[in-house]
Amino acid sequence: MAHDSHDAHDSHVYVPEIAVDREGKEHVVQGWQGDYEGGKLGFWLFMLTEVMMFGAMFLALTYYYTLHQQDFLIASASLNRWLGGFNTVVLLFSALTMGLGLLKMRHGDVKGAKLMIWTTILLALVFLGVKAVEWTAEYHHGIFLGLDALQSGNEHSKPFGQILFFGMYFTMTGLHGFHIIIGIGLMLWLLKRINAQKVTPDHNILHFNIALYWDLVHLIWVFVFPYFYMIGAGDIAGGVVHGH
Amino acid sequence: MGKSYFDETHCAIGHPKSTFMQWMLTVDHKRIGIMYAVVMFTFFFVAVAAALTMRFELFSPGQQYIEAQTFNQAFTLHGVIMIFMFIIPGIPAVFGNIVMPLMIGAKDVSFPRLNWFTFWLYIFGCIVALTSLFNFNISEGEVLFKFADTGWTFYAPYSLNTDTNVITTLVAGFILGMASILTGLNFLVTIHRLRAPGMEFFKMPLFVWGIYATAWIQLLATPVVGITLVLAILEKYFGIGIFDPSKGGDPVLFQHLFWIYSHPAVYLMILPAFGIMSEIIPAFSRREIFGYRTIALSSASIAGIGYLVWGHHLYTSGMSDTAKVIFSFLTFFVAIPTGIKFYDWIATMYKGKIILATPMLWALGTIITFAVGGLTGVTIAMVGADIHLQDTYYTIAHFHYAMLGGVVFLLFAGMHYWFPLVFGKMYNETHAKIAFALNFIGFNVLWFPMFIAGYMGMPRRYFDYLPEFQIYHQISFIGALIFVTGLIYMFTVLIRATKNGKPCGPNPWNATTLEWHLPSSPPPLENHTKVPYVDFRPYEYHHGQPVVKFDENMRRID
Amino acid sequence: MVTSYLIEKVGYYKVLIGLLLLTVVTFSLPEVVVSKYTFSAQMFIATVKAWLILMYYMHLKGEKTIGWSVLFSLLIVAFFFSIVMIDVNNFQYTDVSHITSPTK
Repeated sequence: MAHDSHDAHDSHVYVPEIAVDREGKEHVVQGWQGDYEGGKLGFWLFMLTEVMMFGAMFLALTYYYTLHQQDFLIASASLNRWLGGFNTVVLLFSALTMGLGLLKMRHGDVKGAKLMIWTTILLALVFLGVKAVEWTAEYHHGIFLGLDALQSGNEHSKPFGQILFFGMYFTMTGLHGFHIIIGIGLMLWLLKRINAQKVTPDHNILHFNIALYWDLVHLIWVFVFPYFYMIGAGDIAGGVVHGH
Repeated sequence: MGKSYFDETHCAIGHPKSTFMQWMLTVDHKRIGIMYAVVMFTFFFVAVAAALTMRFELFSPGQQYIEAQTFNQAFTLHGVIMIFMFIIPGIPAVFGNIVMPLMIGAKDVSFPRLNWFTFWLYIFGCIVALTSLFNFNISEGEVLFKFADTGWTFYAPYSLNTDTNVITTLVAGFILGMASILTGLNFLVTIHRLRAPGMEFFKMPLFVWGIYATAWIQLLATPVVGITLVLAILEKYFGIGIFDPSKGGDPVLFQHLFWIYSHPAVYLMILPAFGIMSEIIPAFSRREIFGYRTIALSSASIAGIGYLVWGHHLYTSGMSDTAKVIFSFLTFFVAIPTGIKFYDWIATMYKGKIILATPMLWALGTIITFAVGGLTGVTIAMVGADIHLQDTYYTIAHFHYAMLGGVVFLLFAGMHYWFPLVFGKMYNETHAKIAFALNFIGFNVLWFPMFIAGYMGMPRRYFDYLPEFQIYHQISFIGALIFVTGLIYMFTVLIRATKNGKPCGPNPWNATTLEWHLPSSPPPLENHTKVPYVDFRPYEYHHGQPVVKFDENMRRID
Repeated sequence: MVTSYLIEKVGYYKVLIGLLLLTVVTFSLPEVVVSKYTFSAQMFIATVKAWLILMYYMHLKGEKTIGWSVLFSLLIVAFFFSIVMIDVNNFQYTDVSHITSPTK
């Protein structure tokens, strides 16, 4: 939608139009072409749907946290807090580079903007790399979707609360990671559009919206991280417990 | 006469020469609306056929024509098509697209290419749903269809255990949901950004208010069911445990998440329908609408309260009594803004010059059928009564009186109202009125006996029944035949009119809103050649005549 | 032009420092407060961080229509949470339910 709003179509160009009221005063008619505010509003509305999606998942998570508090704390304590924390900082810096990129673009520094977008992509890849290390480690500890520990009725089965915790953990961090991948795709596309001069300092709605998207991905992590990694931190187990 | 939007169009990609490709790639909101209508009504008749099959089977107790399992698949098919492919895109996708931009004086929706993409996303979702229909095994000379047999609600844990093709249906539901979200998003931005100069929110036609309230529901409620379906898919593939009781998952949570969307969804269906009613009543009473603001705000408050009442679907699920009481209490509130609208419409007609044209007949018929549907809804909002009536034909009759007798009847009313706008031709009113009479009588004969059967204990979705219910099923069957005849008759009248109808000019109904003040009929490609300055209310009549008049430059001349 | 660029740039760094500090608090908090409150404390910090990101990185400050839309959707989510939590906290069949007291 970001794309639509500024990419004027040769056959469909906006002809400035004026409506005249009874006193003879003139009023500009807003067209859909080149509507910066409309593009921004549209993208924010799209992000609200993401908020509702993750909101619903957090609702499911909280539902089971209420039913199985102790199991959730034990399961949470077994996650690797330092890797999660490292990723938090990585995303934090990537949000900064993305924001600075937009700032540079708006002030005419296209080259600097592109550099910042590449940095953001790099940080996003680091995030995914750490995620992969984490999931691999968990897999080797026998905790992964489909493994015995997360099935019911065998000797490795974990209690219900922990099965649900890890089920939601893989679902939510997985979907978040999926958003990171989409984000990398969007940034690559943005670079292509900048090179094609379709995104310029004066026509930056696409850049603006992708920066918003990246902030949203960061925002979701801001809640995902403490909910999975930190709630068990104050538990009797104390400190960092690696695996099992 | 200038070119209409049937003669030329803008396309999403390139400038194709063939008419067919011009339709496939069009970004014009009017053409997209027509394409939605064609696809939706095709599916509508498929679902009607499934329903009629069930009626045949239920004509007498015991098994006659189809297997019990096929019956389960038939009502799932009926529900999935009617809900996800017909009534949820429904009025917004057809008339929201065609009429809403015309009403606010816009050249198109805010994101025309997104609109085009959304249409094809919808088609893609339909195709995915249909693939599960054509997925079958042939064993020992018998064809075994694998279409889902869960009912359109996909309740866990059965939907997670059945070996039919639930996953494709869930994926289709997710895709169709995305299409619905994007439609709502597009309309919200359009209504916020592209209103003609001077048109404040309280000068918008009431149909636009209906679409606006609906769009908020599409935008904020649909993602919840989207993620629920995704979680169900992940559960089925990876066993994340979330809805599976054998791993501690709670099926009641599925019901919560499912109805958090699916209850607001019924308001998503009815609000634009109420909008159509609010257009037709003043136009054919030749009187300014009574209580404009109360109607507009009641749309907004129905949308708002609609988010808060989903739990009345869960009274028998084992939900806590505390929550039941809260939900019952909140549910009663929805009846208030709805009641306000009804009294406003009736007050509008009082002392008006009522013209009984076909759209008005449909609107008046709906006042009766929807009143029955709405009031029976209040009875089952009570926890005590609902324990008895849940999952019986009473609920089915209530739902169909509200949805078919409310939403679909008003969709038909809108079709008859805006038909001359869209095609520039008028259908044969005598035939259209006969079709209305058949539909209205058939509808009541079909559904009313179900209230009684349900009250006496006939459960829904059952393949077989006790002999004492036979009389109700047989009356229903006769009603179904009349109703289907009426439907076919009505569509024949309209389709014939697209070819043979008499040209009728831009404003055959003498209506006041902007879509009737286009320069030519059918409308030109980019709608109003001149956009008016809106310093008037949408339905101004004086002594039965429209107050606001424009010259050819769309400047007021009264 | 150049000065406004600098001011905005400094703004980004200020928010970054704020977020980093809060991340440090996230990690050190469980050592300080009683474990009973860890959950609420963590969620509180997350909310503060989210607010900083929304207001400054996402430029929500001064956006009227968008601001109200965001608030509206957050209120709806809050309502979903409160009702579902009321329901699950008043669950009447804890002793007999398979999912809350699984048969061993």
